[in-house]
Amino acid sequence: MTTAILAATGLTKSYGNRVVVDHIDLSCRRGTVLGLLGPNGAGKTTTLRMLYGFIPPDDGSIYYAGKRFSENRAEAKRLIGVCTQDDSLDYDFTVAQNLLIYASYFRPRVDDLKARVADLLDGFELAPYANASPHVLSGGFIRRLLIARSIVHQPRVLFLDEPTTGLDPSARLDVWELIDRMRAEGLAIVLTTHYMDEAERLSDELLVIHEGRDVAHGEPHHVIDTVLGDHVIIVPRGEPARDEIATWLQARGAEQVATVLGELRVPVSKEDLVELTARFTDATWQVRPPNLDDLFIALARRNGRFE
Amino acid sequence: MRNWRTAVIPPAMEPVIFFVAFGIGFGGYIEDLDYRGVAINYATYVSAGLIAYTGFGTPYYEALYAAYVRMFYQKTWDGILATQVELPSVVWGEILWGAVRGMVNISIVSAVIAVFDLLGVVEVKVQFLVFMPFLGFVAGCAFASFALIFTAIVPAIDHMNYPVFLIGWPLSLVSNTFFPIEPQSQALWALMQLNPVYQLAECARGLLVLGNPGPHLIGLLGATALFLVPCTLLSVRLTRRRVLGD
Repeated sequence: MTTAILAATGLTKSYGNRVVVDHIDLSCRRGTVLGLLGPNGAGKTTTLRMLYGFIPPDDGSIYYAGKRFSENRAEAKRLIGVCTQDDSLDYDFTVAQNLLIYASYFRPRVDDLKARVADLLDGFELAPYANASPHVLSGGFIRRLLIARSIVHQPRVLFLDEPTTGLDPSARLDVWELIDRMRAEGLAIVLTTHYMDEAERLSDELLVIHEGRDVAHGEPHHVIDTVLGDHVIIVPRGEPARDEIATWLQARGAEQVATVLGELRVPVSKEDLVELTARFTDATWQVRPPNLDDLFIALARRNGRFE
Repeated sequence: MRNWRTAVIPPAMEPVIFFVAFGIGFGGYIEDLDYRGVAINYATYVSAGLIAYTGFGTPYYEALYAAYVRMFYQKTWDGILATQVELPSVVWGEILWGAVRGMVNISIVSAVIAVFDLLGVVEVKVQFLVFMPFLGFVAGCAFASFALIFTAIVPAIDHMNYPVFLIGWPLSLVSNTFFPIEPQSQALWALMQLNPVYQLAECARGLLVLGNPGPHLIGLLGATALFLVPCTLLSVRLTRRRVLGD
């Protein structure tokens, strides 16, 4: 196993009496994507802001390439690229100038910057717009430019904060391709997203945060199994035995009984599914493998945000 | 640079309009004034005041509105802070940019004053106009750092009305810009000496009328330092809370 280029241990942050991030450990290796997941208010953004140095942790340590961030701040910041969710492009400059000027903020300077910018413009299909204002770009191409800008200085770790929010399906797929390509080129990527299919497809590892704490981490399937179990049953709105099934499952310890548009969605174990089938012979339901949507709904329900 | 006309011409025209309205229009009804033993017409008096007004207003409003837009709406600060550049450097960048904008606008106002001197509307020592942008730059750093405190704390851009109308306007008017003020109270007099706008107006006037800034050059440097150091420290602290959430 390759050594982690980013490692954080015991990250903790409080605002007043409220603990927003509570002893989070994480790591990300070269050529992998770490998906950071959690409902709104879970502590993802605060974790990210600590990782890229916007705010200091109250407790815990962050290491980049084995060196402590707090003691090698400038050197560590040279290793990281940040693509925030907001559009922070400078619209007074052209597309190419946005890359050139952003690169000028880094020391040591980027070798052969003009060639680097030309490569990025080609690789991100931005070359036709190189001398145009970013105003002419579509949402998908603005996102491409933001990502290109965040790697113009050739970082080793890239933070992508909800990179596809607000994009149409085609533009989303294009961004997925870019992320996959950057991973293949050896970047360590930390990704936050609200799209569960995105996290599931792109992430090599997931870290699920809930109320500031690590509730599950590991490979996507492992995380789903840890939090949800083997299957999810979906009992349709019109099923007469729907409430009875819910009561029966709750009596057997099912904590994550969610209702979505009248459908009952419950994660169940193999054993429970066998018993359920035997007990409710006339009822109809669907069975499918759990996915990250179920995980998200379950976490949000625990937090009282989803009923 | 594509927007340079919009960025430079309207703000630079404001003091010119003031000059025409007050200096020439209003000044026609005012007798000569005594400035340190020299009789000067009101237009000449106001010309130095306009340099101070421009030197104050340009960096002050730049650091209020334009910096707020860059910080809050355009997220330019977030983009820069994601690099190796740290917050104090961004704050200093805004301070210096405001002061440079002040320099540019003072240069335009100085050129207009030179033209009015040629026309005989004002009588100034034209060769000293060349120093005005540099004086404005020094004081402009203080004004921009002062404004950034409000930029960091206003809840929304509409709330800029408070620092504009309740602080900016009074400060620029009670500074010997458009009319002389001779406070009777020692405390008010001392307070006035600490006001960089007053020091800038008097320094400019001393140079343009007498060719000698008198004690006001030291006064300007001192008042600037007194504003700049605490205001910069405070604005870094307040913007850290606002931008970084820390």
